[in-house]
Amino acid sequence: MGEEIEPRIIEGALSLPYRWATGPVGARFLEGLKNKKILGTRCPKCRRVLVPARKFCPRCFVDTDEWVEVGDKGILRTFTIINFSFVGQVRKPPYIVGIIELDGADVGFTHFIGGVDLTDIEKAARELRPGMRVQAVWREERKGDILDIEYFKPVRE
Amino acid sequence: MSGRVAIVDVAQTKHGAPYIRNLTVSDLVYIVVKELLEKTGISIEDLETIITSSSDFWQGSGCSNVFYFDAAGAYLKDSPKVEEDSALGFVYAFMRILSGHFDKALIVAVTKCSEAPSISDITSLNSDPFYQRPVGIEEVTAAGLQAQQYVSRYKLSDEIRAEIAVKNYRNAINNPYAHRRMNLTIDEVLGSEILAYPLRRLEVADGSDGAVAVLISSEEAARKLTDTPVWIRGVGWSVDHYFLGDRDLLEVVSLREASERAYKMSGIRYPRKQIDLAEVCETSTVQELLWYEGLGFCNRGEGWKLIADGVTGMYGELPVNPSGGVLATNPYVARGLIRVAEATLQLKGEAGRRQVPDAETAIAHSTHGAAGSHHTVIVLGR
Amino acid sequence: MRKVAIVGVGQTRCGRRDDVSFPELVHEAVKEALEDARLDIKDIEAFITGSMPAPMSGINAPHLYWADAVGAYRKPIIRVATCGTTGGSIAHTGYYHVASGLFDVVMVVGAEKMYEGDPQGVMTTIWDYRYERPFLAGAPGVFAMQAMEYIHRYNFTLEEVAEAAALLSVKHHLAALDNPYAHIKQEITVEDVLRSRIVAYPIRLLDICPISDGACAVILASEDKARKITDTPVWIKGLGYCGDEQLLADKDLVWWLSAVKAAQKAYKMAGIENPVKQIDVAEVYNPFTYQELTFYECFGFCSRGEAVKLVKEGFFNKDGQLPTDPSGGVLCTNPIGATGLQRIAEAALQVMGRAGKRQIPAVETAFAHAMGGSYSLNSVFILSRSK
Repeated sequence: MGEEIEPRIIEGALSLPYRWATGPVGARFLEGLKNKKILGTRCPKCRRVLVPARKFCPRCFVDTDEWVEVGDKGILRTFTIINFSFVGQVRKPPYIVGIIELDGADVGFTHFIGGVDLTDIEKAARELRPGMRVQAVWREERKGDILDIEYFKPVRE
Repeated sequence: MSGRVAIVDVAQTKHGAPYIRNLTVSDLVYIVVKELLEKTGISIEDLETIITSSSDFWQGSGCSNVFYFDAAGAYLKDSPKVEEDSALGFVYAFMRILSGHFDKALIVAVTKCSEAPSISDITSLNSDPFYQRPVGIEEVTAAGLQAQQYVSRYKLSDEIRAEIAVKNYRNAINNPYAHRRMNLTIDEVLGSEILAYPLRRLEVADGSDGAVAVLISSEEAARKLTDTPVWIRGVGWSVDHYFLGDRDLLEVVSLREASERAYKMSGIRYPRKQIDLAEVCETSTVQELLWYEGLGFCNRGEGWKLIADGVTGMYGELPVNPSGGVLATNPYVARGLIRVAEATLQLKGEAGRRQVPDAETAIAHSTHGAAGSHHTVIVLGR
Repeated sequence: MRKVAIVGVGQTRCGRRDDVSFPELVHEAVKEALEDARLDIKDIEAFITGSMPAPMSGINAPHLYWADAVGAYRKPIIRVATCGTTGGSIAHTGYYHVASGLFDVVMVVGAEKMYEGDPQGVMTTIWDYRYERPFLAGAPGVFAMQAMEYIHRYNFTLEEVAEAAALLSVKHHLAALDNPYAHIKQEITVEDVLRSRIVAYPIRLLDICPISDGACAVILASEDKARKITDTPVWIKGLGYCGDEQLLADKDLVWWLSAVKAAQKAYKMAGIENPVKQIDVAEVYNPFTYQELTFYECFGFCSRGEAVKLVKEGFFNKDGQLPTDPSGGVLCTNPIGATGLQRIAEAALQVMGRAGKRQIPAVETAFAHAMGGSYSLNSVFILSRSK
């Protein structure tokens, strides 16, 4: 085969523009956020309130038929504190992600948890516990997207 | 169904080996396919179908199988691509043999994580653009949410989590194909930095480069090709809801469903007793415990006991991941088929220093999707 | 071997579907198919899904994103993807699910939302990053080279082939007017085609398929189940799939070996010796008019170099000897992940006798095709009223 040539790396990137349709149910949910309302839809069969609002129930496979406003407070089901980076990451680490059971909803809602001092991650983790109450902190300027809620903060009631 | 289906033989690269970084995805496929043909003594003309498994995002190529089509020996053959999880490529090949249309099928899977953005970069694209992606949901974050829930609900200690990592990296020392082969202490695992609290860097599977190939055939063909066929006794696969909030991340319903299907087909009623070893797809330490529970090795919330009692250790009653598992070796899409290959080597008695003595029945498990939303369970027997 | 039948199909309206999210679009087709087969989601034992390379929609592992929309919770689901051939590949996968004996009733779902991403940008990534990617601009550029090779191979003049291509375009656009699911619905003339803008010489705008949003679902069943579900099961009598080399320049794209072999395999299984006599209607995967001519030859619908003449004689027209694409084909509707499956659904409707205004009379046997990869993968199905 003759002379050995060191194999090389060719660098490249895929960068593609997207424009994703929300569908009418998604649009109404996101519009609700603009007005500081978190909306769910109720499954006529299993009666669960699904948040974010769904067009159909993933378990019963029937269209939802009722809009329900759920609370912007709820209980923390679980959380994690992120301490690493990746492409497209919305917040700078460290930050907290949690699953929240909003008052009046029957499924969990995934969002950031804030209002916690993160200079010491393990100390911050001890301040959080599943079952604690949290409440949405709304942005002043709301555009109709999921980040109209800046994060959920722990509250004492 | 028309008769039994056997695994004839397997081949894998030395995953994550430095020299592999300089080879193309196509080169890796070529290496394992060539090796498998040589091992089994068949020529490429003897094969009519080759099932491939890879992912377009991981490879940075649309229709990623086309890039290595020729290297897989698939020229003028029936060769589709099953995406994301090569364990599904395996079950597709199994169905093709069962149908009676083919008497042999080759499955080949590949991923070069070193060429791709990180696992988090890519799996953040698994999340929908409206609700989960903007709040940072990707594989490691989801694993962190799941781990914290486990810790809270079952009061899991840091030490047990660390022991899982210690076990798997240590087992990998005995596996010449494994990537991360390390003799670590519990303190070293717990001393590594936090990635997604409570999970530390050494508790989360990083990527690898690697390829794996498996040849399966009808019973008749297998009898001619090998003295040590490994029988495919049962398969099952299943999916959970898409949104993390819709799931109980500790219930692992799709794993329960997949294992029930596989156990029913293979007549397994007491998994802990009837299974001699398992190769599971643990992308984090806590997931290994959850998979024990979902596979029926123990009750809910009791996975930790199997670690504490050494049941799943190399010399325990049901060794799990004698190969070092996915923590040690994680060429993303290929990892499921690697579980099959490793379980096969055990049942053939060809697992060298990682051999579990007298293994009769083994499980190969794979998962993909946030916090393990999709699971595949394969029961193999001697 | 177990027989497998199509027992229901569902298609969405295609076009720009900004009105629904991707999972909602998929859900539409699934609901249609269930209604068509008069089945409940509980009756479906497993799901087979596919679409273009995931970067097309910007969602990785889209089978997970779709899982709830197809009704797969706690059930088996698998994703198979082979670019344009995807619709064919997932139908093959569904076939083997049932033929294996592991399942009796499964649903195959293909979909695409092409208006949400950059399809040509994604399709360019199919080509080898070292050798071919910089040159091969999306799909039209490649097909243009294929067209020139065809013209040269058989010593045609450009004008005579362009005219045949234009006739095909007019024919398909006319047919699409009869298809309620079709995207482009526009009556055109040969002059319109020949005067339309050159996109990649010699290919003009009206020689090329659109991009579409759309979804398609097909329900497959074992013989026992099929008899219970419907009075008009459509039997999969033959299927073939074949792949050619990776690099574009390695392949013969006039006499496509992958197309030739895929058809031969399906014919052999179905007992077809004379395709023109034995096939009543063909749904050929035809994103480009010039390319369609090569497919007719590779499938044995005519001899090599003869397609131009036969097109001009009306051989493939609705009242011709072998009607092709009464749906309007890919040329008028192209949500790629669904496109190959739409060929199968349309062929099945023809066999069932339920194709409405696009029905060809007395269809006993139908042909359905899909093509993709680096113009390297071809899938062929033979569907029939009889086992």
